[in-house]
Amino acid sequence: MNAAWLPLTAIAASLLAAVIIFSLPEESRRLRTSINLLAAVIKITLVTLMIQRVVAGDEAIFSFQIVGNIDFVLRADALGVMFAGLSSLLWLCTTVYAIGYLEGTANRKRFFGFFSLCVASTLGIALAGNLFTFLIFYEMLTLSTYPLVVHSGTDKALNAGRIYLRYTLTAGVVLLFGVVLLYSVTGEHSFASERGLGDYLGDHRTLLTFIFALLVGGFAVKAAMVPLHGWLPRAMVAPAPVSALLHAVAVVKAGAFGILRVIYDLYGIELSVELGVTTALAVAACITIIYGSVRAIAQHELKPRLAFSTISQVSYIVLGVSLFGPFGTIGALAHLLHQGLMKVTLFFCAGIYAEELGIHRIDEMDGAGKRMPLTSLAFTVGALGMIGLPPFAGFITKWYLGIGAIQAEMYWVIAVLVASSALNAAYFLPIVYRLWFRVGPAHGHGSWPNEQRLGRLETHGWLLWPAVFTAVISLAAGLLAGLPFSPLDWATRVAVGEYLQ
Amino acid sequence: MMWRFGLADSTFEPLLTSHWALAIALCLPLVLGGLAAVWPPKRMWVVALACAPLLTSGLLLLVDFTQIGLLRWQGEVLGVSIGLRLNGVSILLLLLTQWLGAASALYTPGLLNVSPPERLARWLWPLMGVVVSALSLVWLATDLITLYLALELMGLAAVGMLLLSGKTPALFASMRYLLLTLVGSLAYLLGVALLLGYWGQVDLAGLAQVVEPGPVTWVAAALIGGGLALKAALFPLHAWLSPVHASAWTPVSALHAGLVVKASLFVLLQLWSILLPDTFWAPRLVAWMGMLAIIWGGLIAWRAESLKTLVASSTVAQLGYLMVVFPLLLGPNVGPLAKALAWEGFWLQLMGHALAKAAMFLAAGNLILATGETTLKGLAGCSRKLPLSLLVFGIASVTLMGLPPSAGFTAKWLLLQAMVISQQWWAVAALLIGTLLTAAYVFRFFRYSFMETAPRHHYQPLSPGMDIIALCLALAAFVLGLLAHFPLELLHGGSL
Amino acid sequence: MIASLDVIEVLLALCLMTTALLCLFDRHLVRACCCFGVFTLSMALAWLTLGAPWLAIAEAIIGALLTVPCFFYALGIFPASSSALPRYDHFKEPLTRGMTRTLLALAWCVMVGTVIRFVLPAMVYSPLEHPLLFVGVVIVATAMGAFAWHRHLLRRLLAFNVMGSGVFLLLAGMAGTSVQGQALITIGLVVAWLGSLLSALLIRTLYLREGPAALLGASEPQESKQ
Repeated sequence: MNAAWLPLTAIAASLLAAVIIFSLPEESRRLRTSINLLAAVIKITLVTLMIQRVVAGDEAIFSFQIVGNIDFVLRADALGVMFAGLSSLLWLCTTVYAIGYLEGTANRKRFFGFFSLCVASTLGIALAGNLFTFLIFYEMLTLSTYPLVVHSGTDKALNAGRIYLRYTLTAGVVLLFGVVLLYSVTGEHSFASERGLGDYLGDHRTLLTFIFALLVGGFAVKAAMVPLHGWLPRAMVAPAPVSALLHAVAVVKAGAFGILRVIYDLYGIELSVELGVTTALAVAACITIIYGSVRAIAQHELKPRLAFSTISQVSYIVLGVSLFGPFGTIGALAHLLHQGLMKVTLFFCAGIYAEELGIHRIDEMDGAGKRMPLTSLAFTVGALGMIGLPPFAGFITKWYLGIGAIQAEMYWVIAVLVASSALNAAYFLPIVYRLWFRVGPAHGHGSWPNEQRLGRLETHGWLLWPAVFTAVISLAAGLLAGLPFSPLDWATRVAVGEYLQ
Repeated sequence: MMWRFGLADSTFEPLLTSHWALAIALCLPLVLGGLAAVWPPKRMWVVALACAPLLTSGLLLLVDFTQIGLLRWQGEVLGVSIGLRLNGVSILLLLLTQWLGAASALYTPGLLNVSPPERLARWLWPLMGVVVSALSLVWLATDLITLYLALELMGLAAVGMLLLSGKTPALFASMRYLLLTLVGSLAYLLGVALLLGYWGQVDLAGLAQVVEPGPVTWVAAALIGGGLALKAALFPLHAWLSPVHASAWTPVSALHAGLVVKASLFVLLQLWSILLPDTFWAPRLVAWMGMLAIIWGGLIAWRAESLKTLVASSTVAQLGYLMVVFPLLLGPNVGPLAKALAWEGFWLQLMGHALAKAAMFLAAGNLILATGETTLKGLAGCSRKLPLSLLVFGIASVTLMGLPPSAGFTAKWLLLQAMVISQQWWAVAALLIGTLLTAAYVFRFFRYSFMETAPRHHYQPLSPGMDIIALCLALAAFVLGLLAHFPLELLHGGSL
Repeated sequence: MIASLDVIEVLLALCLMTTALLCLFDRHLVRACCCFGVFTLSMALAWLTLGAPWLAIAEAIIGALLTVPCFFYALGIFPASSSALPRYDHFKEPLTRGMTRTLLALAWCVMVGTVIRFVLPAMVYSPLEHPLLFVGVVIVATAMGAFAWHRHLLRRLLAFNVMGSGVFLLLAGMAGTSVQGQALITIGLVVAWLGSLLSALLIRTLYLREGPAALLGASEPQESKQ
């Protein structure tokens, strides 16, 4: 049975949610909340169904012709459903969190409408079956995130939005040019095709390298690779759920996922190595890893520090991709999931600190562990995972990346990994130390910048539980990595698929 | 090129229904316009009811066309033979005209109800009728005399329509335009005279068979091209466009920017493909002008103070996209694949822009009407109270920017592919830069609209129908991009 | 060759030429408009001699009966109005602007000249044999010059109308007074009339709103002070 409706319905669920939310009046809060949650649950169910089909070896494909030789293709393959699963799971968490976060503020209809659009585009990116479809959703993502970034409507937010657009739209144009060039050279090329572009190597070697540079350059802007990362720290003015989503799943990951698709499913890993582009990419990724970490240390506010940490962490994925060999690939794919879980936890916590206690700067966090134990515990789990301590999820990634580097005989990558871990520790451990071991307002010294009593627990339940939930999941991803359907297991499945072709 | 314009013999006679549908399509707008001048409609449903037969006639023609292919009519009036044809391009443009005309007409009662009563308002209806009729005739006509008649009728009625709301700067601009366009029409007439005198043909198909390249053809093509460029507001001759649109009534702007300026372009392309097939310089010149138009129009829109100026200036830039395609359609050394892609992209871009620009004008009109402010600064913070109008504006601007999933994107994709295949890198650069410039001026407006610090206005409530019409047009541009396959199939359907 | 020319045609040509020149270059606007009336009547006669009686009737009705009143309406003479336009055009052209305009007009004349040069053998009525056609060429050229040079809106409108007649003459010369040619010319006449009507309405409105400065077709006040 061909389940063409499956990927289409999954995207349509979010799109429909967006349309309904837009058409509801601003005041109908309850209905909007239920529609949001309902759509998220439906989506998780559909993605689960797709995962089942992939396990059964039967990919759901939907396709129709747009013009002449160009098709719109949605295809639920192993790599796609991996990203789709991440995005739908985190969407549910973020929706719950956002409902709590934005309670009582203005323009919530606009926010949740574009939020749903944003997630629909992310899912589209995950399930896109060819570069054309990918491009459609990629640009949709750019457009639907803009209103979220400028949500607060302050000058700072509007400026950040402008810079965000400058970077991403220029990248979109570069990408469009690259994709058109590729189509003119090779014609329609599905991600499902097993042949790669090797056939064109003889005639178009330079052109293929150029197109690769255009495509990866375009994606690298969203993946925030140095020197194209400028928009990300500025986009931190967005509300916390937006930052969480942007960093963990939507925008940054879309860029990284694009690079994955180009190398694995479009060019083919052998061709990429043959062209020599992977080494260049590995160097760029390493520079980004180190640069992001160093800049993160220099930040005194919590959210910018997390932002630079994202810049650094996302490049782990790119690094893993550019290491030729299955272990590098497994590391990259697993990190796509792990980093999403950990980073979303960290941002949730940062948002909770800001809302409940008015904390924005790191030196204000002294002793917050006593006042908000659960939040701080979640934050600690995320931070330790980021550093890569065993048995947290981040450790697994780094372990596999290290093995991959040794297999690819790129020993300097090990040095980068070690240095990066040290730097991660240097900017996360002080925060953890402050949370638990420094004496602060909770112990009667001074007062919090702006304390609100949002809920019966340490904060509003809608804010707290998503953070705890993602922290538990990320912890489980590390502890139970050996079980079936863990991120590592799924990454291995995808990688095996890639290398056995 | 000839078969693409349907200037070939048809295989079958038109059906009886086609005759009636054609008569309704051409005459009904005039009749309705006249009736509306006597009894101006006050409600939307009256207009909808009146437009229904017109839209039905278009659909009937579409059905007939898909069934029997190219339709031709030949007739004689006072000894002058008149030819009409219905091929893929004309049926698409005819449908577009009818739906856009109907949308503008539907929008009008809402507008007139909320704005202060105008003495001249009732004249809007007959002029609109003439414009729609004349446009339909332009898409169908196959001889130079009918084309001339239709173009002039359309041009004069359009100027009249634009003037109705007359504020002084707009009157000056349109006075200048009127004089220029009249001289332009003389240039066109002289060109036609030249063709008639030298080749003895006014029928396009006949002309195509006898015409040969030579000084006479070149001069005639130059005269006709110059005259039509004056009418179409092509790049160096665009100055009148924005002041006129800044004060014209919203549905008038929508109709004008969406279709009227394109009619001249359509005729230009059609005549040049007969007179100047495979010439190098003439289409190249148009393309260079188009590149300048993209950049200049974008910069003007970027600097615009008022919303309507922004929208009107973007028309200049968007026409530039169409001009850039000329070398691909007419020039030498273009492969058949590139030509086919460019042909599809050209019409898709034209249709997508027509829908999106009309939607944009209607949305901008709604914003201005509801707030009473015309400048971007004055409209700051309008996202709070007018989310729907703003959303429509956004959807329309996605098409203008050429971002997916919209007709603008699909068209841009086709055009880029054609340009890459035929290695016209300058045109590629122009298209890509155009995207960024469009984004720059569109988001400049959005930046204002999202401001939360702006003072709160008193908002005038509008009838929801006005927003819904605009939304439908904007969504149509989206759907056209995703379902581009079907209209483009029609473009080929008439080729056999 | 001269001897073979028809005397009536020569007289008509002379008449057309004089009235056209007067109409284009007389600064007294009422006189210029009257000259245009005479010009259209001579045009009607010219169509008669070229063997197109229906065209002659159309020209007489549209030109003399419909277009001329438009001008008088614009001038504020008909119907009599207290705010009539000033009778004289006192405006002097700055030299630089005049130069560019002249260049534009010259380009137009070169284009028309090329047309004539290449089509000459194929023309039904050659300008070398028919003074009417020769006058047509001269009229088109001078009217274009006048259109480019003048800034007074009414004078530009007059120049356009004169040029229109010249173009019609050329058209008749090139295509003959065949049915198609006549149809084109008739449409052209109607269009010119509608255009003149619209322009006259515009000129009148602008004058009533903005005063004499409006007649130079400039909305900016600093330009109107020149």
